[in-house]
Amino acid sequence: MVIIIIVLFLAIIAYDVRGFIRKKEQASVIIIYLVLMGISLVVSVLLASGIKPSSPAQWIETALKMVGVVK
Amino acid sequence: MEKTQISGIQLYLILLGFLFGSSVILTPALGAGRDAWLSMLIAGAAGSLLMWIYATIALLNPSKTLVEILRERMGRIAGTILSVLYIWYFIHLAALVFRNFGEFICTTTLVETPVAVVMGLFALVLLYAVNSGVEVMGRMSELLVILIPVVAFLISIALITAHDFTAFLPVLENGLSPVIHAAFVNLTFPFGEAVAFLMVFPHLNRMDNLKKVVISSTATSSALAIFVFARDLIALGSDLIARATFIPHLTSLLIPEFNVVPLVDINLLVGGGVKISVCIYAAAKGLSQVTGTHDYRSFSRAVITFCVVLAVWVYENTIEMFGWAEEIWPYYSIPFQIIIPLLLLLLSLRGRSKTSRENTEDAGMGYGPANS
Repeated sequence: MVIIIIVLFLAIIAYDVRGFIRKKEQASVIIIYLVLMGISLVVSVLLASGIKPSSPAQWIETALKMVGVVK
Repeated sequence: MEKTQISGIQLYLILLGFLFGSSVILTPALGAGRDAWLSMLIAGAAGSLLMWIYATIALLNPSKTLVEILRERMGRIAGTILSVLYIWYFIHLAALVFRNFGEFICTTTLVETPVAVVMGLFALVLLYAVNSGVEVMGRMSELLVILIPVVAFLISIALITAHDFTAFLPVLENGLSPVIHAAFVNLTFPFGEAVAFLMVFPHLNRMDNLKKVVISSTATSSALAIFVFARDLIALGSDLIARATFIPHLTSLLIPEFNVVPLVDINLLVGGGVKISVCIYAAAKGLSQVTGTHDYRSFSRAVITFCVVLAVWVYENTIEMFGWAEEIWPYYSIPFQIIIPLLLLLLSLRGRSKTSRENTEDAGMGYGPANS
């Protein structure tokens, strides 16, 4: 499963980055694209391996509890 | 700004689909129990006010998206930071709707299929819609959103024999406070989420119609939500409604002989699809404007991939999803839906009065077009 995810993501990234280079997109576009896809790839691999990193929902809940908005 | 335009009726239907969205499976005002219809009425009135604020911001800043307004009114650095936060908010919202959709389909229809597969396939269709542009999303809504009230009406007709109007009684059994709290939850979900439309409003072909369109869409969506809730309440009773997970699905199971569950699925596909498309469009468009590129499509695939992964990542299970939507989401949304838009409205009004004062002074000094 992990290998399938990695291959799928790499195929999409390779296809899109080739398109960006051909269209002469700005470096910022490629960087933001790679950051989003990179986070997606890492989280997908972790989830597929049975490891669930703490999610943004938990971070938000903790932050709201810290400022006392939510009990 | 790309030269795509949508008509008033298309915006009305996109907004209706967006507001109805995942309400097919989540009833945000359910915290008020059998008095949820009262909460929905209050939330509808407050939601209209909120939509009026969003429309006024768009009218005071013609042809500008939320990102452009933020950068113009709040300065380049603060505006860019807030724009990035809004982009995150739109991505998060899309992920939550993805998860609602996935949980519903995997619990009721495709019980053996992994939730990631269901969401991934749905994402492929939506990516195509988003990449086709706002015009196509408008035409898609013209074709499909009309199905939502039709399906709700068909299910109600089929259930006409199953009714107990005493389910509404006693009214306000637990006082007004749960009703007000549920109205607040209902205000932030779904009305406040329509802040994403500040990225879509500039595409309306006749801006003078904007307020009329958004208010009528909000009123229709409120009326439809109250109608669906009243139908579910008189068919199921307040006790069962309080314990059920997916209420409209349970109601549809009451219909003898016919399996109308696919009709509820269609409602969710249409409403959820419109909502996710708008959020993905808003996020991708925002990213393209922050980076100064001309084409939002460069980001749409990355954004939708991230949304699907986030949707799987964000909750452990359905119970956590429901709890988060009711307890955390409303408070987390306040800055995005109420505080920043109010600030933008004030700054836009101040900007307009400043401009008109300068024009008057110029005209008085002989620089105006009337004196030249």
